[in-house]
Amino acid sequence: MAMMPKRVKYRKSQRGRIKGRAARTNYVAFGEYGLQALQSDWITAKHIEAGRVAATHFLHREGKVYLRLFPHKPVTAKPLETRMGKGKGEPEFWVARVRPGMVMFEIGGVSEDVAKQALVRVAHKMPVRCRFVKRRHLL
Amino acid sequence: MEKALLLKAEIRERTGSKHAAKLRGQGRIPAIVYGHKRESVAISLDAHNLVEELQHGRRVLDVQIGKKKEKVIVKDLQYDYLGRDIMHADLMRVDVTETVKVKVPIELKGTAKGTHEGGIVEEHADHLEVECKVTDIPESVIVSVKEVDLGDTLHAGDIELPNGVNLVSDPSMLLVTCSLVAAAKTTEELEEEVPVAPEVIGEVKEGEEAEEESSEEAK
Repeated sequence: MAMMPKRVKYRKSQRGRIKGRAARTNYVAFGEYGLQALQSDWITAKHIEAGRVAATHFLHREGKVYLRLFPHKPVTAKPLETRMGKGKGEPEFWVARVRPGMVMFEIGGVSEDVAKQALVRVAHKMPVRCRFVKRRHLL
Repeated sequence: MEKALLLKAEIRERTGSKHAAKLRGQGRIPAIVYGHKRESVAISLDAHNLVEELQHGRRVLDVQIGKKKEKVIVKDLQYDYLGRDIMHADLMRVDVTETVKVKVPIELKGTAKGTHEGGIVEEHADHLEVECKVTDIPESVIVSVKEVDLGDTLHAGDIELPNGVNLVSDPSMLLVTCSLVAAAKTTEELEEEVPVAPEVIGEVKEGEEAEEESSEEAK
């Protein structure tokens, strides 16, 4: 099992819609470089884990990887060959809702070139278009 | 301090998001000038000139509003959702002789000793709040990390500031640390930590339910 919350108020949630753009989490706050989403989508716990592994493998214990997203939302599914009805399915996996502008991953303690290469590898694992961003020192 | 460009401002007769968006489309940035107990004025500035000034690290600008020339300090900037374009600028009127509190970016210089032993330098804060004369505002505060060894920390109070610049931020504010990077956990290790299913708040478990029932019966 990949990332998921330890405690929840409700086991299942409605699907909902991802509206608008990121009003928070839209700047590099912890590291020096980041990977920013340009589209909205659900990023599953598997995607996040794949991104984390890709970055840490590339960095060879240099630098630090920060995850700025967490899969809070449960997604349910019905078993195969089941008739419709009989209630909502069971939670199958967990997702993070991502809106355009959200900085999903950050890296600190390495040069820009290395950070770029690591984050390109992470971007390949993501289901959304991404761009490389730097920390803003100007106000 | 380099001589700043005189930015020509146009007074905004009509305010609101719709008109501001129109201005941005024309290559201008909406801004507001306030301070010195005078009425605030909604203006717009040429985007290219303003961005250029800011990229040169200038915080104090000369703005021509109508026939009047005013000295202002950039107090705040609003960015779009991608953090690329400036959407709005807050400009505060200042006098040359005035002392102001401003946030100045920190610039790390050098390679820390600790990095040779496998540590990494972490920047915990990227701004320092300082108090100085308008003409003495530094572009950035340079922090030398050459002497930072493994396990060492640098606090705001340890930083040498230029003459005439006083620290306003808490001196115990953590700026830089040098520490060893913990080995990244493997997926298997993480899986062991994560529960199979999350605990539901307020849900009574089967065992607890039976206990409750038995205690009620006993009563």
